[in-house]
Amino acid sequence: MKMTKNKILLYLLIIFFVFVTVGPFVFTLLMSLKGPAEGVYTNIFPRDPSLDNYFIAFRQARFDEYLINTVIAVLIAVPLNILFCSLAAYPLARMDFKGKNVILITIIATMAVPFQLFMAPLFNLVGNMGLRNSYIGLIVLQVGTAFGIFLIRQSYLTIPKALEESAYMDGANKFQVWFRIILPMIKPTLITLGIYTFTFTWGDYLWPLINTTDNEMYTLSIGLAQLSQSFDGSNIKLISAASLLTTIPSLAIFIWLQKYFVGTTKGAVKG
Amino acid sequence: MRLTLNKQSNVKVKKRKESSVLTPWLFLLPALLMISVFYIYPILQAFMWSVQDYKIIAGEGAFVGLDNFRYIFQDSLFWRALTNSLLFLVVVLPLNVFLPIIVASAVNQKVKGIGLFRVIYYSPVVTPMVVAALMWRMLYVESGFVGNLVHFLGLYDRPTNLLMQTSTALFAVTVITVWKGLGYYMMIYLAGLQSISDEVYEAASIDGASPIQKFFKITVPMLAPSITLVSIMTIINGLKVFEEIALTTGGGPAGATTTLVIYIFDKFRNLEVSTASAAGIVLLVLAATGSVIQLKLNSGKEKDLKG
Repeated sequence: MKMTKNKILLYLLIIFFVFVTVGPFVFTLLMSLKGPAEGVYTNIFPRDPSLDNYFIAFRQARFDEYLINTVIAVLIAVPLNILFCSLAAYPLARMDFKGKNVILITIIATMAVPFQLFMAPLFNLVGNMGLRNSYIGLIVLQVGTAFGIFLIRQSYLTIPKALEESAYMDGANKFQVWFRIILPMIKPTLITLGIYTFTFTWGDYLWPLINTTDNEMYTLSIGLAQLSQSFDGSNIKLISAASLLTTIPSLAIFIWLQKYFVGTTKGAVKG
Repeated sequence: MRLTLNKQSNVKVKKRKESSVLTPWLFLLPALLMISVFYIYPILQAFMWSVQDYKIIAGEGAFVGLDNFRYIFQDSLFWRALTNSLLFLVVVLPLNVFLPIIVASAVNQKVKGIGLFRVIYYSPVVTPMVVAALMWRMLYVESGFVGNLVHFLGLYDRPTNLLMQTSTALFAVTVITVWKGLGYYMMIYLAGLQSISDEVYEAASIDGASPIQKFFKITVPMLAPSITLVSIMTIINGLKVFEEIALTTGGGPAGATTTLVIYIFDKFRNLEVSTASAAGIVLLVLAATGSVIQLKLNSGKEKDLKG
């Protein structure tokens, strides 16, 4: 009897948090389905559901272009970040060399520095490099990240050394060992970093905002923020549709790959 | 084994040994290049600019000592921003530390379909921050769900937008931050919870402990390392909060949600980059101090726990 009471409480708790988490999405979805003739807040459920707002977002509000820009940025950032981080993490996990600790500490330190401290110099630098309004300019902070290096290093440290030793005896060099033996073993971590890089790049706002002056280079986040400058009347329906369009790809990638999504903090939290 | 191999006067092996001094650096090169150019160099430059009167268009500045710091410390808006940033942390820190523990404990139970709930709780984390801010802004308007809810609950005489009230705006913004981060911190706690063995809970059950007692006497103390991590992340991330303010209140009403980051952004937009850099250094010092204090506090606690 007592057990069932606890079970019921547990389910109530779980369902309460489901409402809190999903609620905003549901309201946004219902808002986005309201037709042009419908009042914005007169009723919660759309009387005559239509996908008009989604078509308007794509055709008139240029979200088709913003989508392409965002996809390109992500397609550059994700593979490069995985490659650079998995390379850099290897000597930090497996080799002894002069300066290793300095490198480790420097990388940790950059993680703790708020972006807002150096956004002005970065804006200046990227402009001087001719990367304003470019795809590379958008992703300079998402490639070779300190976070990624640590995530992957943590994963390398769990692999037994014996595997590499036997490969070295067979005459393989460090790059071959890394690429053929080590990398395949940490596939879940690589995918996890991929998901993180995807979501960071996909949702990044402040840096793309200041580095993008040409609206042909807008990403979804900037386009959406721009659209929300007039936050009233029927524009709210359009903002809702555009918000969901911006979220769905990110959500879909996560759901598709979530079985690989490993507890990234494992080991990092050991007391 | 490798040592003996290298000792053989085999030319091929010798060659590999010579190149091995460079090998780690070859692996590090691409990432180090990116970090040096796009993080370290601009960070050092920000320190330079903070003691100069740097003009970004002219591309030059003269040394002015601590003038920029003197300027911000005399600016009442800066103090307002600093206070708001700290107030924001004071509200977010306990919520970010404890709500995700409750959620993580709930989804750590052996209940059917729990994997689905984990995915659901994580969905705000992968939602772009701009979207989160706008969705909540829609809920907060007078005719929106929260706008009406506060009236329904009798907190206000009429439907009210909490984002537009000086007294509640900052609090309303924290809700968005907590909502967005809940799933992320839940995952951190889940990893921590998995290291607590079932036997501890079983023993407590035999002694007649209630679920609430087990939560406070076992779960929370055993999660101390995760709590440290979440606290530090909350301090560092909470100080950087931008979208949920910029896209809802824009720092208003009447500066009620102008945090340090909003202050810095406004200075940057006016091309007062040296002032922005000085304020940025204050932000960095806050983040570093908060993290160090948190680490110190918790290392003490953990020692107590280990006895």
